Amino acid sequence: MKRVFMLVVALAAMGLMLAGCGGENEKAGQVLKIGTMSPLTGPYAADGNDIRQGTEIAVEVIMEQGGISGFTDIMIFPQDTACDPKQAVAAANKLINEEVTGVVGAYCSSSTIPASETLAEEDVIMITPGSTNPQVTERGLPYMFRTCGRDDHQAPAAVRFMKDVEKVQSVFIIDDKTTYSQGLAEGVALAAKAEGITVLDHDHVNQGDKDFSAVLTKVKAAKPDLLYISLQNSATGALMVIQAKRMGIDATLMGQDAVYHPKLIEIAKADSDGMYCTFGAIDKDAPKYKEFQTKYKEKTGNNPGAYSAYSFDSAMAYLLAVKAAGTTDPAKVRDAMLALDFTGASKQLKYAANGDSGSNYVVYKVVDGTFTPYWNSLTGEMY
Amino acid sequence: MEFFIQQLINGITLGGVYALIALGYTMVYGIIQLINFAHGEFFAAGGYMGVILISYLAAQGLHPYACLGISLVLSMGYCALLAMAVERLAYKPLRHASRLAALLSALGMSIFLQNGLMLTQGVYDKPYPTEITSGGFEWGLVSVSYMQIFIVALTAFLLVGLNVLVFKTRIGRAMRATSQDKIMSALVGINSNRIIAITFAIGAGLAAAAGIMVGLYYGSVNYSMGFVPGIKAFAAAVLGGIGNITGALVGGLIIGMVEIFAAGYISGEYKDVFAFIILIGVLYFRPTGIMGENVDDTRV
Repeated sequence: MKRVFMLVVALAAMGLMLAGCGGENEKAGQVLKIGTMSPLTGPYAADGNDIRQGTEIAVEVIMEQGGISGFTDIMIFPQDTACDPKQAVAAANKLINEEVTGVVGAYCSSSTIPASETLAEEDVIMITPGSTNPQVTERGLPYMFRTCGRDDHQAPAAVRFMKDVEKVQSVFIIDDKTTYSQGLAEGVALAAKAEGITVLDHDHVNQGDKDFSAVLTKVKAAKPDLLYISLQNSATGALMVIQAKRMGIDATLMGQDAVYHPKLIEIAKADSDGMYCTFGAIDKDAPKYKEFQTKYKEKTGNNPGAYSAYSFDSAMAYLLAVKAAGTTDPAKVRDAMLALDFTGASKQLKYAANGDSGSNYVVYKVVDGTFTPYWNSLTGEMY
Repeated sequence: MEFFIQQLINGITLGGVYALIALGYTMVYGIIQLINFAHGEFFAAGGYMGVILISYLAAQGLHPYACLGISLVLSMGYCALLAMAVERLAYKPLRHASRLAALLSALGMSIFLQNGLMLTQGVYDKPYPTEITSGGFEWGLVSVSYMQIFIVALTAFLLVGLNVLVFKTRIGRAMRATSQDKIMSALVGINSNRIIAITFAIGAGLAAAAGIMVGLYYGSVNYSMGFVPGIKAFAAAVLGGIGNITGALVGGLIIGMVEIFAAGYISGEYKDVFAFIILIGVLYFRPTGIMGENVDDTRV
């Protein structure tokens, strides 16, 4: 009897789900569906949630401005990639099934690249706010766009800073073996050698490690002028910074754009003082950014994270392009995207034919508990 | 030489943490032959409870060391209660089912607790106050922080306490009896369900202490922090001879040392590989673990 009852309940539950789906499909004609792909769980969830929230705010702003004519509503389908290539491809397939027409994401280059190939088969537009590996836009996918910068611009910018401003002679490099962090670290090693800076060692740690005492003891023994930290995650970066300071390492510390996050300072506190990070220039006094920041704080209670503004701009670019094109037809939206030239929260956005929007790397220094712009890699000037 | 000494100190600290977590695995396995995969989550929960309590007490104006002491005791108590609840809900109903069922239940509990932590505490790392932990000694290349001394001292203290409990008290005798034969010990008047619950509570309390020490030592806690140390501590427990308290200590120290020396002398990316090669090697040549021969006398 109990079994029969359970069976009835299960069938009823399935029936409800099917009914739910049917309801959604009926009004699909007037709803604009966009997806986000980012790690919402796991060690990279901090950046992943920033991406989701940035997109949500873009949709809110567009709706406040009267929405997009021809569409009654904009729906967001946030997907969790966990920074895992397999899960990213599954997420891409799920978004295709939901019939989304544009996707903001993914975060890790190692998941963006496979996911973009799946999305490309269905001509879904993908705009990444955070994947900096050159390969993302180098493969000639017509519907792939990138709002952030590229590693092959970031690595030379970092090395130029080391040479011109910090006058370092030797550098120790640590990465955590992801497509992104290792690719960037290798770029830095190459550029450093070309500039005549000695690379004392290039060591690797594993993702998810918390104890860096062994590798930091090596750093201490090698006595580099600068320790370059290329990790996928700012919280891990914070742990490395704390442990380096406690061990008494007096080398200059420098990180990259995945290490750059307000959470790093929140965790490492005074230990992060004087640390450098490369990240795209975001003018925090610009009215566009201020506006975005206010909205973000209202909605989430936090200040924008590292990739929030890039995600907001990525979603805005897509929504504005759909608005301009008046349709979700990918070819027409692509043309509209390429014609865009607008001031976003992060920078002036104009996509090139290959989907890139240019790099604008700046070196930030931690001063009094905030990342302060310190040196501009484009002009070679101090702020 | 200085390099070697520094790595040795790093290894002992890390090994101490693994040993404390491994004790819980070993005790629970010793008494009901269950590998409690949710054990790493007690470690994470303890770390979180610690940071919440320390922040709260520090806001009340207490001395940092008083905050630390009180939080340590309360977090250990909290995790002990949590472990007893988990045991009652997820393991006791399966006591007479197949071992696989209990194992799956443990895995499920691990995922449940980890997601519970994520949903209640958020996905971001929670920073520990660093004022308590700064400072230390330095001789040339070698530096020892007060925190490292604290970790080793607390590990030693808890281990001695545990040994006294298991070998010198009535509860300890009951635990040893239950681990040898549940039915016979029940016949002579031991409430085996109560003893099992106490074993879970003690193991989780030790894991909570490890969680707080890790939080203080590394500066922050994270909801997923229990998984990797949990696996390492499990390896340590197996390495030492699962079910054996001294074995857990030895196993923990070996895993910690191997990791640090592999990272220090070869490369950071190989440390896990070497830790597990040692484990496989020991299992191959000594399936009972290093301290496995006297398992009947000392296992709890």
